[in-house]
Amino acid sequence: MRRRTIAFAGLAVAIAATVAFVASTATATPTRVAARSSAGSALVKCGKTLQIGFMVPATGPAASIGVQQIHWANYYVSQYNKTHKAHKIKLVLEDTQLGAANGTAQALQGAQALASNPNVLGVVGPAGSNEIVGVTKTLKDAGLAWVSGSSTNTTLTTDGTRTGYMFRTVPPDAVQGVTAANYIQKTLKATRVYIIDDEEVYSTGLADTVQARLKAAGDTVTRTGVSQQQSDFSALIAKIPSNTQLVYMPWQLVPKGQAFGQQMQAAGKGSIKLMGSDGLYDSAFASVGKNVYDTNFPLNPKSPIIKAFAKAHDGDGQYFGAPTYAATQVVATAVTKACAKGTTTRAKVRAAIRATNIPVNQSLLGVPIRFNKNGDMSTLKKFGVYKSNGSVFVPVA
Amino acid sequence: MDWSLFLNLTVSGLTLGAMYALIALGYSMVYGILKLLNFAHGDVFMVGAYIGWFVLHGLGGPLGTDIAPDLVLLLMFVGAMLGCGVLGVGIERFAYRPLRKAPRIAPLISALGVSIFLQNSALLIFGAAFRDYDTYHFVGVKTFQVGNLFISGPELLTIGAAIGLMIALTLFVDRSRTGKAMRSTSYDREAASMMGIDVDRVIAITFFIGSALAGAAGVMWGLVFGQIYNYMGFIVGLKAFTAAVVGGIGSIPGAMVGGFIVGLAEAYSTGYLPQGSIFANLYVFALLILVILIKPSGLFGQAAITKA
Repeated sequence: MRRRTIAFAGLAVAIAATVAFVASTATATPTRVAARSSAGSALVKCGKTLQIGFMVPATGPAASIGVQQIHWANYYVSQYNKTHKAHKIKLVLEDTQLGAANGTAQALQGAQALASNPNVLGVVGPAGSNEIVGVTKTLKDAGLAWVSGSSTNTTLTTDGTRTGYMFRTVPPDAVQGVTAANYIQKTLKATRVYIIDDEEVYSTGLADTVQARLKAAGDTVTRTGVSQQQSDFSALIAKIPSNTQLVYMPWQLVPKGQAFGQQMQAAGKGSIKLMGSDGLYDSAFASVGKNVYDTNFPLNPKSPIIKAFAKAHDGDGQYFGAPTYAATQVVATAVTKACAKGTTTRAKVRAAIRATNIPVNQSLLGVPIRFNKNGDMSTLKKFGVYKSNGSVFVPVA
Repeated sequence: MDWSLFLNLTVSGLTLGAMYALIALGYSMVYGILKLLNFAHGDVFMVGAYIGWFVLHGLGGPLGTDIAPDLVLLLMFVGAMLGCGVLGVGIERFAYRPLRKAPRIAPLISALGVSIFLQNSALLIFGAAFRDYDTYHFVGVKTFQVGNLFISGPELLTIGAAIGLMIALTLFVDRSRTGKAMRSTSYDREAASMMGIDVDRVIAITFFIGSALAGAAGVMWGLVFGQIYNYMGFIVGLKAFTAAVVGGIGSIPGAMVGGFIVGLAEAYSTGYLPQGSIFANLYVFALLILVILIKPSGLFGQAAITKA
């Protein structure tokens, strides 16, 4: 009797599950097709306040660079709101916690929140290349374009999956890697180099580029990787030969870079030069020692915008965040243009971003802001190289 | 043979192993008495790291303290050990004791719940940003060099303090009245109760000691590696659990030896095996599987006796 009851209960559950599944698939297709065809074409009334999504690592392991991006984005918004009467810009911030142990889950949640907010017309960010891989489908399905002020992995704009949706105000790693390799070879003249990536797509891409160029030049290159969650680098450091001239470490997380540098000092290898990439462009990494180098986004140091920002922030230029000012400027300009007639769609904002043409006198990058068909800037061709001086990086190339 | 590499890897492994051993002791002691795998133990280690950080900054921080560094270090350890000890007693009282008569799965799930609770409470209270012990400025980068062997001050402190704590624990368990009660309770809880031993009190003391040791390990981690954050206890706790199993879950000497074995395995695999720095965790957990297959009771554990 009991067995029969259990069998009937199981059968009932199975039938209910089957019905539910059939019902969901029966209605899913038309809804999904409808969703895709309408993605970005829904009409939005442009009120007084125009909302722009902002995906940034406000907290988490990358917070030190995320905060810089927040300051620069807010700085642009404050300048815009002072000078525009018809509209005000409001940033809708989503914290992505780049580098957190749960991967890009937080970024995906943020993307979903922005996608489902009909008043959000465009997105600034995300910061990390791996985050962009994670949120692409969500933002694209919602018709949202995004402009990143820091994601540099080359394939993001060249693999064709984000054309028309992703744009960035920084050069890709194909440029950064070449800059780093050239500086290592021609200026530092290092021929024994140890490359350590952090296994994320941003880092491995840069490491691949640098490794290939150094090996082609006949240098001795050793390559390995380490997890972003790793804190103990002592065993890895023990493997680095004492005659290594430079360790190239294109990592995303400043705390890890700092910890690595300090553990190198503790292991008696402080004389080995360290070179990071834009992800490590922070005073904490610079403070590790006097043999620390870094590549970072190109900026116009004489820009009055940069000078005014630094003055408003106790002399701290927070240069990692500067391209995010440009990214916010791009999205805000596009949204304003698309809202000229009082209503707009996300598709119109995308088109306006694609047609961006900000003149050089309004750009802190030192060049006009224009995009090529892939979404990269057609006017940016180089990265800067910096060296530590106390706890700051100063430009050396 | 590159002796320089071998010796430096050994130092690295002993440092890690010392911390794993301290945490593994908590796993083994609790399992020995309650037959419970306390999966929240790794997060008690995390809380200890935070307590140490707050004590350091409460006393002025790495650069701002007027108190002698040695005294600051002592206070950090005392604060973390006391704080974590009390936390451990609280966890036992509210999350495990009510489930003592429940099926074994219930306290296990409760332990997982406590672990998630601690991780996210730390996230809520302390935020997601990493905290830095800044040992580099605090105790300075004092590195002792013997030939090509380098050992930093924090590494030396960790190994020495961990061994000291393990010796103290062994003496306590072997020679004190409470230690005898703990051994009796782990052997047969019912019989111990019938002999007049306050089993609840013994269990509480066990949790206090195990958690205090994990708290000490948390401070050591911060001093050696600098960075602490709310999820740091998860993977470290798993490796310490591996150490406890390798040594023989329930065995105190086993936990100590297991900790050092796991630490050395991690260091040597990073140094010698292909892609060691990427796959060190893989090699450590492969060691766990190997030990379970060859000697399921662990190196010092005793095979379970089942009734026919």
